[in-house]
Amino acid sequence: MEIRTESIRNDAFETYLSVKFELMKHLKRRRLFIVAALAVIVPLIFYVKVPDTADVFAATALSFVNVLIVISAAMFAGDAVCGEFEKKTSLLLFPTPQRRSAIFTGKYIAALLATFLVVLLYYLTMTLQIAQLYGWGQIPTELAKSWLTALIYSAAAVSVVFLFSSLLKRSMSSTIVGFLFLMMILPVVAMILMRVNQEPWFIVTYSANLIPDVLGISSSLPGGGEQYSALSNFKPNFGVGIGVMVAYAIVGLVSGIAMAVRKED
Amino acid sequence: MEYAIQTENLVKKYGNGFTALDGVSLRIRKGEVVGYVGPNGAGKTTTIKILTGLIKPSSGHAYVNGIDVTARPREALRTIGALIEVPGVYDYLTPHEMLTYFGRVYRMSGQEIDRRIKETLELVRLSDWEHKKIGTFSTGMQRRLIIAKAILHKPDNLILDEPVLGLDPKGIRDVRELIRQFRDEGMTVFLSSHLLGEVAEVCNTVVFLNKGRVVSLDSIENIGRNMGQGVVDVKFLRPLSREETEKLKAIELVRSVDVKDYTARLHYDGKPVSAVQILRRLVSSNFDVVSYNLEGSGLEDYYISVMSEEKGAN
Repeated sequence: MEIRTESIRNDAFETYLSVKFELMKHLKRRRLFIVAALAVIVPLIFYVKVPDTADVFAATALSFVNVLIVISAAMFAGDAVCGEFEKKTSLLLFPTPQRRSAIFTGKYIAALLATFLVVLLYYLTMTLQIAQLYGWGQIPTELAKSWLTALIYSAAAVSVVFLFSSLLKRSMSSTIVGFLFLMMILPVVAMILMRVNQEPWFIVTYSANLIPDVLGISSSLPGGGEQYSALSNFKPNFGVGIGVMVAYAIVGLVSGIAMAVRKED
Repeated sequence: MEYAIQTENLVKKYGNGFTALDGVSLRIRKGEVVGYVGPNGAGKTTTIKILTGLIKPSSGHAYVNGIDVTARPREALRTIGALIEVPGVYDYLTPHEMLTYFGRVYRMSGQEIDRRIKETLELVRLSDWEHKKIGTFSTGMQRRLIIAKAILHKPDNLILDEPVLGLDPKGIRDVRELIRQFRDEGMTVFLSSHLLGEVAEVCNTVVFLNKGRVVSLDSIENIGRNMGQGVVDVKFLRPLSREETEKLKAIELVRSVDVKDYTARLHYDGKPVSAVQILRRLVSSNFDVVSYNLEGSGLEDYYISVMSEEKGAN
């Protein structure tokens, strides 16, 4: 029992070290800075044409969150596993007294935290914009629900890209494939299903429409709920959508780590 | 007896049917400096990857300080410092940032990490580069930094896989000098290389590996004695005259001499004591000796004879 407790304590400490090291790497490579800057700058674009109500402004701004999450996931998780093998830093990192599963869990958590930070910055900027344009009292309370949904989708997106990073050999491939999978392949499959009158409830990007849909107003921007509702009357169910996101997050993470641990030079 | 490094009937088979290791058994005592030599594809790196927990053996066991690397990797790897092949570096970090992380991995305190970073960087002559980006380093500097990382936690055992691969002559000399220092400090060094000169200079035992099997394991001294041949390169202050060449040939322990301008290659029986006696005779005969280098020629001949026997047997 004592040995098991000691082992868990060691795993937790090694994961913590890996999270810290990864976050430092994201900072040093300026990736965190670039994506965070994107999260702050993009909402400013919506000043170009200011809508009449705070709800419409929020709906318009929220339509970009999904894209930002996918960019962030691709940037932070794309090379999490294969990058170490491709650049041969695995020969430096692995012959050390720490479990590989702890190293990779740390990498996943770091990618997730970086994405959370980016999402938080985006929502903060948007909230401040609404307050400045329409007053503090006009901030839609549903934004909190949207933000929490965005965090769960972040976990799913990071897991999917992390899985590609474990499967593929090159960082560039896993980053691009992960990005395209979430931005194009899954949305296209969802659209095809809707065309044949099938609800794509099991597709995570369809569930991600819960993020802008919380206000019940469709945005006119691409990537918003509009593209789906134009095809059919399907709307993701909140409970099912959250369940699908959580499932993608867990399956992606567990299988990604299992594959990463087995990966050999 | 607990060995520093021990393998028992180590076998590694890959999915494509290739057998990289075919029953390798090694016993390396503490403080020994062992050269692990063999042609490309002999299984040297595979052995090292198993010893450092990078891959698992198909069967057999690998122990470091008596700890099974596969069963208890955390404990085993705490006693190892390793340089495997040509590892990549985090070129956007500084040596201080990189070594701080690895220091924490080895459970060192903040103070201890700072002290050891200073010590190891000084040892590898990178003190002035502690806070500069690793990406700006030359290949030799990066290799020295990786050696600093390998010894940061003062391991009992140092495992080096082709440590001079891709280095220029100065880089090779620097790394060789470091290995000598580690040997003198009593560290167990397991050095994989196909450069026999390097092995002859720093190791006291040599393991010959071919096609995944150990074909010979002996001390450098014994190998030289068995081959009955050694070579020493001597550089003089002036080109040798005919008379001086004759004087060289007349030295009792010297079997033959090849002279070229300032240098002479002396062939002798390969015994260290004979090398010392030859040097004494040179000095007492008033030769102006600038340098005196023992070459691994005996080892080279031994390598060729061992590998030829293997080829014949197959």
